[in-house]
Amino acid sequence: MKVLRPGRRARRRTVALAAIACSTALVLAACSSGGSSTQNTGGGGGTGNAKNSSITIFNGSTGTITENFNPFMSGTALQPTLGVIYEPLYYYNLAEKSDPQPLLATGYKWNDKGTELTITTREGVKWSDGQPFTAKDVAFTFNLINKTPALNTTGLAATAKAVDDTHAVLTFKENSFTQEPSVLGNQAIVPEHIWKDIKDPTKDPNVKPVGTGPYQLKSFSAQSYSLEKNPSYWESGKPQIQEIRYIALDSADAASAALTAGQVDWMSSYLPGLDQLLKGHKELSYVNTPALTTSIFTCSSTELGCKGPQTDPAVRQAMYYAMDRTQLNKLAGGGFAGEASPTLLLPDRDKDWIADSANVTAPQTADTAKANALLDAAGWTKGSDGIREKDGQKLSMTIQTVTGWSDYISINDTLKQQFKAVGIDLKPTQLAWNEWNANETQGKYQLSLDSIGLGASSNPYFTYQGKYNSANTAKVGDSAAAGNFARYKNATVDAALEAAGATNDEATQKAEYAKVQTEIIKDMPYVPIYINSTLTEFNNSRATGWPTDDDKYAFAATWKAWDNGIVLKNLTPAK
Amino acid sequence: MKTLARRIGFYVIAFWAAVSLNFLIPRLMPGNPVDIMLSKLAQHGPVTPATRHSIELLLGADSSQSLWSQYVSYLGQLVHGDLGVSVSLYPTPVSTVIAQTLPWTIGLIGISTVISFVLGVGLGTFAGWKRGSWLDSLIPVTTMFQSIPYFWLALILLYLFGSVWMISPLNGGYDVYTTSPGWNAPFVGSVISHGILPAATIVVSSIGGWMLGMRNMMVSTLAEDYIVTAEAKGLRPGRIMRTYAARNAVLPSVAGFAISLGFVVAGSIVTEAVFSYPGIGSALLNAVNANDYALMQGIFLVITLSVLGANLLVDLLYAVIDPRTRQRG
Repeated sequence: MKVLRPGRRARRRTVALAAIACSTALVLAACSSGGSSTQNTGGGGGTGNAKNSSITIFNGSTGTITENFNPFMSGTALQPTLGVIYEPLYYYNLAEKSDPQPLLATGYKWNDKGTELTITTREGVKWSDGQPFTAKDVAFTFNLINKTPALNTTGLAATAKAVDDTHAVLTFKENSFTQEPSVLGNQAIVPEHIWKDIKDPTKDPNVKPVGTGPYQLKSFSAQSYSLEKNPSYWESGKPQIQEIRYIALDSADAASAALTAGQVDWMSSYLPGLDQLLKGHKELSYVNTPALTTSIFTCSSTELGCKGPQTDPAVRQAMYYAMDRTQLNKLAGGGFAGEASPTLLLPDRDKDWIADSANVTAPQTADTAKANALLDAAGWTKGSDGIREKDGQKLSMTIQTVTGWSDYISINDTLKQQFKAVGIDLKPTQLAWNEWNANETQGKYQLSLDSIGLGASSNPYFTYQGKYNSANTAKVGDSAAAGNFARYKNATVDAALEAAGATNDEATQKAEYAKVQTEIIKDMPYVPIYINSTLTEFNNSRATGWPTDDDKYAFAATWKAWDNGIVLKNLTPAK
Repeated sequence: MKTLARRIGFYVIAFWAAVSLNFLIPRLMPGNPVDIMLSKLAQHGPVTPATRHSIELLLGADSSQSLWSQYVSYLGQLVHGDLGVSVSLYPTPVSTVIAQTLPWTIGLIGISTVISFVLGVGLGTFAGWKRGSWLDSLIPVTTMFQSIPYFWLALILLYLFGSVWMISPLNGGYDVYTTSPGWNAPFVGSVISHGILPAATIVVSSIGGWMLGMRNMMVSTLAEDYIVTAEAKGLRPGRIMRTYAARNAVLPSVAGFAISLGFVVAGSIVTEAVFSYPGIGSALLNAVNANDYALMQGIFLVITLSVLGANLLVDLLYAVIDPRTRQRG
């Protein structure tokens, strides 16, 4: 950290005071020359010196920060709780195709029926208070979840038992292969010797977190908190950065100013004109990891109460072919978006899961002839105003998005033009986030622009189960918060997903997913547009070793749980 | 005494109405906290029907409770000073969030409102006293600054002073890198240097009103007979300006000042958003975005209390400084 010498600090303040005096006297111009000579240090993010290296992270927190390091509250706990302070058994890298990497466990084994999971825990791991970590802690963690429904976010129904210090056995009531990623990769393990005395784990903010992760809490205030290196971390030689500071900023403007001023080392914000912004700053770099597929969600099922032309699969198909994705990427995606797949998987990472190679990516240019043919065949005829109609119903649909989401708003405006060419009338509306979200979960919309989130692992099951299984939907008016907002109902898909979930044999799963893919490409309840960019900006002057396009060893975004810990422990102080 | 009792009775009713509206308005907004939290979780990881169940249990969101029984328990909690638990910052109590943020807002917005008032009234007094001087030409300039949308003015000044000339910090309430909160010199100094620019934007954008109002009141007061009398008695001009003219002219401004003090809490959202200042305004903004009823209600209550309190203060103060107001009734 740069410490200001007293003389300099005093000078800086007088200059600031002088500036205020000037501005109140409203002779701004006369003051301007005085200020430029003083350099702002702004505190700086830290130094690259190995002994007291420190970096600063902005992870999207705004306003005041309240203390909460309870690893069971994935929604409200402070973000480094998961992955940086507490660790899971395995790490699932969703940025590329890879096997789970062992963290607190070194092995796991299912019985054939998928009802018993034996976990071998790592030896030589210590909690940050010096106590040894054993399989008993693993068993305690899963039993705690099992007996506290409010903490059970994954629907886990397993009792656990530690056989000895390095082996824990989880027993499930039924075949539970699909629970594997949430057990191994999405559950922080907590120390039994501390949590057995916590009276109400659903209300405790856990202000003195004791974990196994690479960092431990150093200090906390409502505007910023910092973590320091865990000296007894099990992986030798890691981490190398001594201290990490988290700060809160209220807007993208503030974040972009802090980045260029060198006050932030790691942040994930979409900054307009990024290349231009970084031009004068050699120390800054960014990585783009497109991961969330921006799609038109359609309220697709008349049976469940959806109304409007989008309930006709031909209309959804026509939209898929009528859009010019290259133009959309240029106008709305800033050219950073990746190519989406009609299977809703990520083409780069999940290529092996896509059965038909023709379905790896969606067409990048508009095929109006095909879209017109589809609509003609379905009986939609062009009226005098160029808009198609069928049985007196106009092919006119409203599409909702959130006020202020400028890229989504421009997608809608561009689509309106593109769809007009095939006789579809699109009516974009902008709503407050709350209303938009309520409409989607309750099915009170025709079309909605949204994105498909990341699953628990890169296995397509987690995307397909949530978005397409009719078990996860509800009638229009009821909440389908589990994810099937499109009100999609298809018996073939449901059966295939059940079969895929009952096995952990990838070849069988692949065959089942092929059936799902055939159905969803035919029905198209979610019309993919592109894979939205996730831009993450780095400052390389204090630390190096950030994920790059060539080396995606972790998902780089600052908001991604678990991956944060992996990135931080792999950083090295800049020379 | 009768006047006082009646005034206080009025404030009690106004307070009850405000509290009831506080309760009702957030519930008329679309969406519910459980769905919102789920959708936010879904952006970052998998969500299953079980997740919904666990969040409902966690937040204690019992949707089956009737609005009336919610209202009764809300009033009951208020009486005990319990503002509930924030949903978006679960399990932090609302009172903690308010206690964390309110001092920053009162410090920044309160002090700059006082500065703006004192400076504006002072300059207005001189402008009215010496009509036609250079101070008069200051008035159009200050009113121009007042008419520029505040967020724009603040953004421009932040860009110039923070990013281009680099003489002012870019964000935050203090230097989080090198100081730690407490009563130590570096921290206090850092708070002051971080507060100067936001405070200056507030002063610049609000001083015009005070100045113009005070100048015009001075002008009309100076035309009063008692000023002529005072001049005829041969009093010193300085004494006439302060004790005779300004003292009478300042009365309407005092009322306006008290009201604006009441709005200190409410009027800070934009300032805090632009400067990433950790005050109650940004907490309110986050609460609205997250449908955090409990936090919203808590903050609205603070706003209501401060506005009502300021009004009561003016009422009482006026009865003291201006005897005419307690004549009737």
